[in-house]
Amino acid sequence: MGRLLDNYHYAVAAVLFCTGFYSVIMRPNIIKKIIGLNIMETSVFLLLVSLGWKEGGIAPIHAGGAEAASMVNPLPQALILTGIVVAVSTTAVALSLVILLYRQYGTLDVDRLMREEELEVPAAGPEGGEG
Amino acid sequence: MGAYRHFPILIITVPLVTAVLMPALSHRRERLCMPLAAAALSASTVLTFLLYRVIRPAADCFLSYRLGGWEPPWGIEIKVDFAGLFMLSVICSVSLLCLVYSRKYISKEVEPGKAFAYYSLFLLLSAAMLGFTATGDVFNMFVFMEILALSSYALVAVTGRRDAVRAAFKYLLMGAPSSIMVLLAIALLYSSTGSLNMAHLKELLAEGAYSRVVFASLVFMIMGFGVKAALFPLHGWLPDAHSIAPSPISAMLSGLVVEVAVFALLRLFFTVYGAASGAVSGTSEALGVTAAAGVLFGGVMAVLQKDFKMMIAYSTVSHIGYIALGISIMNEQALTGALYHLLDHGLAKGCFFLCAGAFIYERDYRRIEQLKGASRRMPLTCAAFAVAALSVIGIPPTSGFISKWYLIWGSVAGGKYLYAAVYLIGSILAATYCLRVIYYMFFLPPQPGTWEGGGEAPVLMLVPAWVLSLGTLLMGALSFVIIGRVQEAAGLLLR
Repeated sequence: MGRLLDNYHYAVAAVLFCTGFYSVIMRPNIIKKIIGLNIMETSVFLLLVSLGWKEGGIAPIHAGGAEAASMVNPLPQALILTGIVVAVSTTAVALSLVILLYRQYGTLDVDRLMREEELEVPAAGPEGGEG
Repeated sequence: MGAYRHFPILIITVPLVTAVLMPALSHRRERLCMPLAAAALSASTVLTFLLYRVIRPAADCFLSYRLGGWEPPWGIEIKVDFAGLFMLSVICSVSLLCLVYSRKYISKEVEPGKAFAYYSLFLLLSAAMLGFTATGDVFNMFVFMEILALSSYALVAVTGRRDAVRAAFKYLLMGAPSSIMVLLAIALLYSSTGSLNMAHLKELLAEGAYSRVVFASLVFMIMGFGVKAALFPLHGWLPDAHSIAPSPISAMLSGLVVEVAVFALLRLFFTVYGAASGAVSGTSEALGVTAAAGVLFGGVMAVLQKDFKMMIAYSTVSHIGYIALGISIMNEQALTGALYHLLDHGLAKGCFFLCAGAFIYERDYRRIEQLKGASRRMPLTCAAFAVAALSVIGIPPTSGFISKWYLIWGSVAGGKYLYAAVYLIGSILAATYCLRVIYYMFFLPPQPGTWEGGGEAPVLMLVPAWVLSLGTLLMGALSFVIIGRVQEAAGLLLR
């Protein structure tokens, strides 16, 4: 139990990851799925940034005679910066696809989209054929 | 090594920079887009094939490029060894042929004024695949994977049709969580080793004891890349996306995109975690079972399809299973077969989708029964399909025969007779769905109202399809030129 209390940030990251994954899979609304995706991404960022954290740590700048031992690890922060850019681009592409979907189908409900898909399948070929 | 040492970075950056410049350069001169894109990809192709002069399958023979001059364990490294070079040359040649094919096809599917976006995304996709294959740094691999994924979502939806947008969104909903899993795996790997460089990671993981965190990271990696590679239970997005995308993009997605994801699994297993480690031997059994299920499931579903491109898409699920199964067996012959099947799959599946695209371009025929009697009007397209089909089935002297030979040899040598049986049943299923189409094309009369008048597909579409189908023949008949070196590369990966 003591180890869990010391490392509570990992537990928070795990809970956030599962929350996000749940809403990606279970929520019928597309926007909520995308919000879930962002929660998942944030949980991984939290995990990564807490790896480099240090109690009373200082910025890793060597000028001024700072000791290397008291600096935080800058690499996870650099990774997360890249990760955030990637996450924002994914969200942007996802939202632009949502706009196109809403224009074409007039709904954001995945269950209704799936019903539309079933209706479309028999008419896949131009001549219909035996279906 | 002289000028050669700059080649690895140039192969990636030339198409990448051209992709970014394309909208600015060709806003009003759209005719220039395709030649410019072709020039960039040709440059990459030439540079890749020149590298065969310096890179041999030996332990210390690879090209390493340090980005920004930072030394490897800290800086990002681009590293090309023989296995990577083999994959790079497949990517370059198939994407160049698909690009040539696009010129005619895209004028029909994409509205005028948007073609520059298509070519820009196409180059971005190719550059991302090249970088993804060549990189020696796991986080850099994640970044290239995201460029690859985002450009392929956009390319599936590029026509803007209802079903295309829906397929692209389905692809994104499965692809984005899988990317996050890969990032999580990288975070776990970093937390237990403190390094991101692949070669350095292998040393650190070999020293350190087998830990649960390392095992968890490998499981998340397999799940993440499994979705991208459409490994059996995670393949749900593939049939829709591959059959609804424009045909040259289907060829790219099916021939290359899922393949580089399997190649990433191969890299992780052998170059990062190390074949001997407890984590890899613990997961390879599970990978083998799901891959075998995928071979059979993909084959059966392909037999049941009525839509031509849907059939090819399920055949891809089956063939990705072949490669993953070869990786899971973990001996030299099976790994040789898996590497050679990467080449064969790229050529043959590329050719299949290009032929399917020719029927759609000329006639708008998508269903298999509409292909009855197709050889009367489009004999060259049908013949190209038939030659590639021989390779998919695995009939000598095609490259499909060579790769299956090594895969089955490997599974027998590894004592896994059941896997050998799976390969054989997979081939029978492939024969069932391919020969049915060939029979329809060549031996049945056309349905009333179809195949009256009209002719062959344009030359610009026939040439890429024929180059790919002759490629499967040549890489089979002349396999002795390269198979020895591939086998040595496979042996090196296992060490």
